[in-house]
Order: sequence, then structure tokens, then C-alpha cells
Amino acid sequence: MVQEKRILYEHLNVPDINTFDVYRQYDGYARFEKALAEYQPDDIAKMVMDSGLKGRGGAGFSTGLKWSFVPKDIEPRYLCCNADESEPGTFSNRYVLEKNPHLLIEGILICCYAMGIETTYVYIRGEFTLGKQMLDAAIKEAYEQGYLGENIRDTGLNVNIYTHPGAGAYICGEETGLIESLEGKRGQPRNKPPFPAVEGVFMKPTVVQNVETLCNLPFIVGNGVEWYTEMGPTYADTREDPPKPDPNTGTKLYCISGDVNEPGVYELELGLTCTELIEVAGGLRGEEVKAVIPGGSSAPILTHYELDTRLDFTSLTLAKSMLGSGGIIVMNETRNIVDCLLNIMKFYAHESCGQCTPCRWGTPWVRDIVQRIADGEGRKTTITRPKFGVTESGRWGDTGETEEIYEDLDLLEEVANNIANVDTMTWNTICVFGIAVSWPAVSYMRKFRPEFEAAIREGKLVTLPVAEATVPPEENYAYQQRFIPKEFSELE
Amino acid sequence: MADEIIQIETPFQFNEENRREFDELIGRYPIKEAAMLPTLHLAQRQEGYITPAVMKHVAELLEVTVMKVKDVVTFYPMFFEEPVGKYVIRICHTLPCALRDCKVVLDHLKAKLGTDVASETNLAKGTTDDGKFTLMKVECLASCDVAPVIMVNDDLYKNLTPEKIDELLEQLPN
Ligand SMILES: Cc1cc2nc3c(=O)[nH]c(=O)nc-3n(C[C@H](O)[C@H](O)[C@H](O)COP(=O)(O)O)c2cc1C
Ligand code: SF4
Ligand code: FES
Repeated sequence: MVQEKRILYEHLNVPDINTFDVYRQYDGYARFEKALAEYQPDDIAKMVMDSGLKGRGGAGFSTGLKWSFVPKDIEPRYLCCNADESEPGTFSNRYVLEKNPHLLIEGILICCYAMGIETTYVYIRGEFTLGKQMLDAAIKEAYEQGYLGENIRDTGLNVNIYTHPGAGAYICGEETGLIESLEGKRGQPRNKPPFPAVEGVFMKPTVVQNVETLCNLPFIVGNGVEWYTEMGPTYADTREDPPKPDPNTGTKLYCISGDVNEPGVYELELGLTCTELIEVAGGLRGEEVKAVIPGGSSAPILTHYELDTRLDFTSLTLAKSMLGSGGIIVMNETRNIVDCLLNIMKFYAHESCGQCTPCRWGTPWVRDIVQRIADGEGRKTTITRPKFGVTESGRWGDTGETEEIYEDLDLLEEVANNIANVDTMTWNTICVFGIAVSWPAVSYMRKFRPEFEAAIREGKLVTLPVAEATVPPEENYAYQQRFIPKEFSELE
Repeated sequence: MADEIIQIETPFQFNEENRREFDELIGRYPIKEAAMLPTLHLAQRQEGYITPAVMKHVAELLEVTVMKVKDVVTFYPMFFEEPVGKYVIRICHTLPCALRDCKVVLDHLKAKLGTDVASETNLAKGTTDDGKFTLMKVECLASCDVAPVIMVNDDLYKNLTPEKIDELLEQLPN
């Protein structure tokens, strides 16, 4: 069985690790001191680039690359730490905030040193009362100990960290929504470009980074790039000549919930398969896996045919899904996929910020269609098309074949694709929330079409056995949602 | 101006402690408006909900229009524009909790409290007659590993069953 590899979470359960003294005993702030003593800011940025660290918040964008976009001549620059964790199925940031807040502060300090940033805002979702309390207390201690504030450790470095509470809106997790919300407005995302790295909060260059991403920094600095890149697979993108390395390095805090025996956060090297992860989480609760959501509710669903997919950024992209926030939700044979989609669509209909017409109207529309199907009122018609063939009388003529058209399923796909088209990967909206709606909607419907058809045909929710409910991959376009050439191969 | 647009019965002022906290808050941002969310949280903690008087006071403190404050208050689900019960019970009903039978817990809560679920525009619907509880559904609380979960005011309760709900409700002081 795959072993847990605890790095970020190694000392999570040490008693009182949330206090400065205990954190200090476990190498606390030593990595930051090492950074100050041994490296120039640019060296750190280069190390992060070389480590191949990818953002853990959702988009999986290279952290080093993001930092390289920040103009160095505009002052001040800001760091926003994204602790808005509201993607359904994700709960790893919460434990960092509640149990080991000094680790986050150390990560922030390293980022600020590398980027020449003096002010950091930690945007914490409003419901994390305890997390905010713990982080505030840790920040206070760090000020007292001279690790925050003016002239840190006599190096002339100034860093201030402030926590900022959200107020229950999911869209404030989107980086530009977060920035608007931080500025005291409605959390409505901005058009990009300009990207936050160039023009972010208060119209200044801003680095937005997830909690988990920042917590990786002390270990990259402390143990070195070589140590870090040994964890996780590196692939080769053979579309380029010579093939470009495509790193999926480090560990991931996989959050697993739903039908497993021991749900929780498991820190593992990137690149294990779905089946392996389910095993690590105490095995399946039930007889058979019906479906797995691999990266928070926004990610396209995987069927039981796809359980050997490796849970890393590249492999999941090739499987036309995404690692997203690393929230894995497992469903067993008793679950009805129509019902699950309805739950998720209610979530998105509630959380749309309402700026863009396709999203504001399209999302509740998709929800209503799924609701109708779940209520047994899904629409279908039977049409008779003229079809040339051998008739009953044995002659050539019109055979009068009938065909069932599941109107609501076509409508569902059309409405969803008009918010964001999952086949061409183009969206008609300001932010990628649009894709987060149409990805689940279209992928659930295409991959579990028999279950949707059954609900319409029978006039009620019907839970089919796993084999019957799932569309097999070979013959189907359901599995080919995204236009990405399948030309990656493993480098190692 | 603002007084003419909205009816203000009793004016609102921060108490001394909160005023001090506000003064500290405002120094964190290069523009005053950015202190909007923490200020509204502070005001809601003092007043129970965001009254027109609160909005007016916050607008004055942050040097923005009252409409701008209202704009923000209506966007965020955590700000209430109506009175709520002493205990606000938030029950998560997103997929991972749904897979762990949050519906059973919700039904039990409804029966036990004898109230419906509040909607964002009608909080009274989910508030008990004695004004002790307000029951509302919320989206994922980032605790899906210990589902089903509820929050009672600021505290999270995990792995709930109807029995645990009974216990919990009993131990809450009046
Ligand atoms: C609708 C939506 C919601 C998001 N929610 C979160 C979130 O709750 N937490 C988070 O860290 N990133 C979230 N993101 C991703 C952020 O936009 C951004 O990519 C991330 O914070 C960047 O940090 P990283 O590079 O360290 O991952 C969300 C994105 C979208 C489109
Ligand atoms: S896509 Fe939806 S959530 Fe994103 S900006 Fe547009 S309306 Fe808001
Ligand atoms: S779904 Fe209920 S806490 Fe995540």
C-alpha cells in the first residue's frame, strides 16, 4: 500500500504546535532564517521555479512562473493568501490554520522576502472563526518575537500580515473576486487581463497564493530543490522539441470524503492512482465504486473505468478532468448520479455572483432542468423519421423508424455549453466559474447518460447498477471533452 | 441625505471596545473602504444584525455612500438584514454531507425546533417563535471529512446524528 508522506502535516498533531515555542523546537522559522542568511531574494524565486511547485488552490499554475510576471519596479506590491477554502470537498487549509498557523506565517515570510513584499492579507472565509483566532494569535506571537513587523532579525526586512474575514460567498475564492472583496466591495471577479500579478489589490502588483502552496515554501528552502523534485512524477511534453519537462513535484494534501471508511486529509506524493487513494482512506464504504470526483465539485467526474488515473495535474488534465483543489469525493453503487448533479447545481446556482448573463441565467436554468429530471418530469419526445430500408413487406421503402429524443438532455448540454463550452474550452463569462458549472453538468450527463435517460423514461429517479449506468469509454465522445493532444509521455 | 432615503429609528454607535478594534482595523488598509467586511462583522456582532442605522454609521466611518454599504451587505450571505435567533444554526447540505445523510439531521432539527428553514430573504421563516434559534442551510463548510456538520454560531459540531443533536440542544444555555 502507498505510504503517507507527511511533510506539511508532519507536526500537525504535536501538542501546542500552534505556539511559537513549540513550533520553534520543530525547526520553526529555521528555514526562513536560512533563506535570509544564505540566499538572495532572486535565488529563492529561482528555487521555487526549479522546484516545479504548482499552485494548490485550483488552477495548478506554476508558482515560480507567476512570480516572474510581477513587475519589480512598482511599489508597493502585495501578497494575498487565499484561505477562502469553499470548494465542496476541500478541507486541508482549515487544519493548517487551526493547528499549525506558524507554518503558514513562515511560508508567507519566505514569499515576501523573495518578492520584496511588505504587506500580506490573509483572506479567511468567514465561517473559519477558530482558524482566524488561531492565526491571529500566532501572528501576534510572531510580532512579539521579532519575526514580523519592522526590521526583522536586523536585516532591514519589513513584513506585516493582516487577516481579513470573508462573509460566506464562494466566488471570493476566485483570485480577482477575492481582491474586489478585500477592497471592500461585492466579490465580483474582474476581467483578465490585467492579471493580479500586474494589477491586483489597490491596483498594485499582487501575488495570490493558496495556503497549501505557501506552506510548501519552507520545505523547498530548507531541504533544497533536489530533495523536493524527487517527490512526484515529472512528465515530458513531447509537443515541444526537445520535450519539455512537465513537473508534478511534491506532496499534495488530498482531501477525501464521501463513501470511504476513513475520510480525511492524507498527505501523499503526487501521482498515486484513484484506487490507491481509496485504499489509503480505509477502503470503499460499499460494494463498488460508481464515480469519483477528483478535484472538488468543479472537476469533471471519473467513472469506474478511470480509477487507474493518477491523481496529479498532468494525468488528470489528460483524462479531461482536473486535480483542482484536491478534494476527492467518492460515490458507491447506491448513489444516483442525477441526484448528485442536482445537489451540485443547486450549489452553483446559489453561488453565481450575477455579473455575466450566461452564468446568472444559465446556472439556475441548468439546475431547473436537472430538478425536473429528478422529479420525474424530464421531457422527451418520440419522432418518426423517414428512413430508407427494407420494409415489413420485403420491399425497399420507408421503414418509419421511431427514435426517442431526450429533449431535456440536449437542452441541458446546450445551456451548459453556452455558459462555457467544454469541448472547445471557451467561456462566455468573466471568470472560470462558468466552466466549473458546465464541466460537471456535461460530464455527469455524458458519462452516466443511461441513468439520466432512465429517470426521464420511468418518470422517477432510477439507480442503475454501476455497469449499466456508465457509458464505456471506447465508443464515446463523453470522455473526449477537452481538446488536448494526447502526446505526453512519462520522462522517468 | 441618507436620513431621507432610509428610515432610522435609533442611531447606532460602536461601543468602546469595538470602537478601539475598529480604529486598529482601519490602519491596516491604504483605503478606508477596504475595512468594510471586518467593520460589518464587528457591527453585526454588537447589534445582532445590520440595521439601516448600522449601514449609515459604517458609511460615515468609511467615507462611502450608504448605498455602497447596502450593496455589500446584500451580496454576502453572512450579513443579516433582519433579526435572527440567539443561536444561528447553519447546516451544511452540499454533496459530501448529503452522502453522509445530512437530510436526516436536517429533518430532525426541523421537527425538534418546530420551524422551517430560513431563506436569505426571509429569515423569520427559520426562526423559532421564542427567538432562540434560527435554522439555515449553508454550502460546504470545509469539514466534509467529519460530515454531516452544523455550526451553532461560531462553533462547529461534527459527525452528527439525531441523538447528538438532542444532546447538543439540551446543553445550550437559554
Ligand atoms: C470559482 C472559483 C473558486 C475558487 N476558490 C478558491 C478557494 O476557495 N481557495 C483557493 O485557494 N483558490 C480558489 N480558486 C483559485 C484561485 O482563483 C487562484 O487560482 C488561487 O488562489 C491561486 O493560488 P495558487 O496558485 O497558490 O493555487 C478558485 C477559483 C475559482 C474560479
Ligand atoms: S462567470 Fe458567474 S461567477 Fe464568474 S463573474 Fe460571471 S457571473 Fe460571476
Ligand atoms: S459538504 Fe458539508 S462540510 Fe463540505
